[in-house]
Amino acid sequence: MSAVQVTGVSKIFNQGTPKQVDALIDVNLTVEPGEFVSLIGPSGCGKSTLLRLIANLLEPTTGSITVNGKSASQSRLDQDYGMAFQQAGLFDWRTVAKNIELPLELKGWDKEKRAARAQEMLELVKLPEFAEMYPWQLSGGMQQRIAIARALAAHPPLLLMDEPFGALDEMTREYMQGELLRICAETSTTVVFVTHSIPEAVYLSNRVVVMSPRPGRITNLIDVNLGAKRTEDTRAAADFFTGITAVREALRGTHADHANAGAVRGVEDR
Amino acid sequence: MNRFVRRAAYRTSMFLLSVVLVVALWEMYKVVGPQDGGKLFGAGVLPRSNDTAMPHVWTMLSRYGRPEVRGSDKRVWVVVLAGAWFSFRLSIVGFLLGSSIGVGLSVLMSRFRLVERGLLPYLVVSQTVPLIALAPLVALWGGKLHIFGFEWPRWLSAAVLGAFLSFFPIAVGTLRGLASAPAASVELMESYAASWKQILLKLRFPSAIPYMIPAFKLGASGSVVGVVVAEISTGLKGGIGRLIIEYAREATADPAKVFTAVFGAAALGLTMAGVIAISDVYLMRNRPKETSS
Ligand SMILES: Nc1ncnc2c1ncn2[C@@H]1O[C@H](COP(=O)(O)OP(=O)(O)OP(=O)(O)O)[C@@H](O)[C@H]1O
Ligand SMILES: [Mg+2]
Repeated sequence: MSAVQVTGVSKIFNQGTPKQVDALIDVNLTVEPGEFVSLIGPSGCGKSTLLRLIANLLEPTTGSITVNGKSASQSRLDQDYGMAFQQAGLFDWRTVAKNIELPLELKGWDKEKRAARAQEMLELVKLPEFAEMYPWQLSGGMQQRIAIARALAAHPPLLLMDEPFGALDEMTREYMQGELLRICAETSTTVVFVTHSIPEAVYLSNRVVVMSPRPGRITNLIDVNLGAKRTEDTRAAADFFTGITAVREALRGTHADHANAGAVRGVEDR
Repeated sequence: MNRFVRRAAYRTSMFLLSVVLVVALWEMYKVVGPQDGGKLFGAGVLPRSNDTAMPHVWTMLSRYGRPEVRGSDKRVWVVVLAGAWFSFRLSIVGFLLGSSIGVGLSVLMSRFRLVERGLLPYLVVSQTVPLIALAPLVALWGGKLHIFGFEWPRWLSAAVLGAFLSFFPIAVGTLRGLASAPAASVELMESYAASWKQILLKLRFPSAIPYMIPAFKLGASGSVVGVVVAEISTGLKGGIGRLIIEYAREATADPAKVFTAVFGAAALGLTMAGVIAISDVYLMRNRPKETSS
């Protein structure tokens, strides 16, 4: 059974009006359990839309989506996935621990069990001494780690992330990438990850999904062969650069039918 | 805790400073202002500074210590305090009534766009009805209306008029606050399959608090104004409003007396605002500093 199965999905916003946008056309994607898949593509190609369709925050215009063998809406009700966005989106009025407990509260866990799990998650993201602080007392990178802890608190089998490291500086970003890989390996979580950064996509993923805009669709699926265990040395490995080149080539292709074929807007090379 | 005390001390000293400033201005005007008022382009714009129109501050203060009427052993401050306490309780009832109605309406309006579209214009129109016109109508209910065997007490009419002035800012402020929850946070809650009620209690109300506090401040002072005006225009006995009209009749013979009642009404409003300010500091104690007012 696949973790995510997207079959023949299209998403058209404002259908039949002058403002109609074909955000996604005939998208097919299968993500296996334990896999780390990145979505990359120029701005506006429908990456966030695809992620929100999987999360059942949007309904597809056509096609079907299953998560863990269930319909997307059922798996949302069952809290089968955790989500993290570019903005940490922590609640100012809750302590760090209480923020992590939020999904558990909504699941109806009792108090001791919640507190124990929150402490466990804080240790996982290496911030155990910050439990009683408030989010605005933490740095941006720390807040992002708390948001990831919140997304993972209920031990969901699937993690959906939309540019979670986009607002971080380069150093913190690389550190967080390592942390994310470590956490996902420890908890054997499946991840669908949206990013603008080619190296980030290659470093993290088993598979990179390249998308193109107007209308949004998948153009390439690129396997990354960096092995299971990735370290800081991986960033200097030959296979890493092979991967980056392959993704960059594929992204160029997405613009072949546009006037400005050379530049890939909205995708960073760093 | 330390921050709490520091802010409270700062606010109190600023308030005292402003009182001293007002007293100084008052006495200064009495020295330099025209005794019988000043005319500018033929219109009387400058207030008279004689002792009948503007008694000295110490005359007004000492009036509190003297008997209410000659030969009585009741001192003015006792009477004013009792009147203020009576009106304070009415204002509290009006404020509680107004805030439950205001918050209730805002929740309904945020839940159903249709209710917002249909209701909000009427709420705005309701506030353009002058209180003076409404007061006698509502006062008529006193002693006449019976609900489930309860006789409508006369004081309740005054509280209802207080509620009438307080519910509107509370409804509008809370509505804005409930809508201020970021779309991404709402989406996050939805991704956890949170119900409408859970989103309301765990996200919308906490995000609304910075909007609700100023709205409740307006509502609290509105309730005081409503109660005092209702007391004045319906002649309800026992409150500070009634004292103001009674004392105003003696204004030529005993000018300081009416001011004792007016200050009583002002102190009433300040007490209400103070209660809200304390809850403000308490509720916002753990929020980022720049969002607390
Ligand atoms: N709620 C909506 N209503 C109408 N159009 C929308 C809506 N959400 C997205 N779109 C449109 O769908 C297209 C894809 O948007 P999406 O946010 O998925 O892009 P993206 O790939 O995530 O872009 P970025 O990299 O800039 O985040 C865009 O053209 C956008 O304008
Ligand atoms: Mg996006």
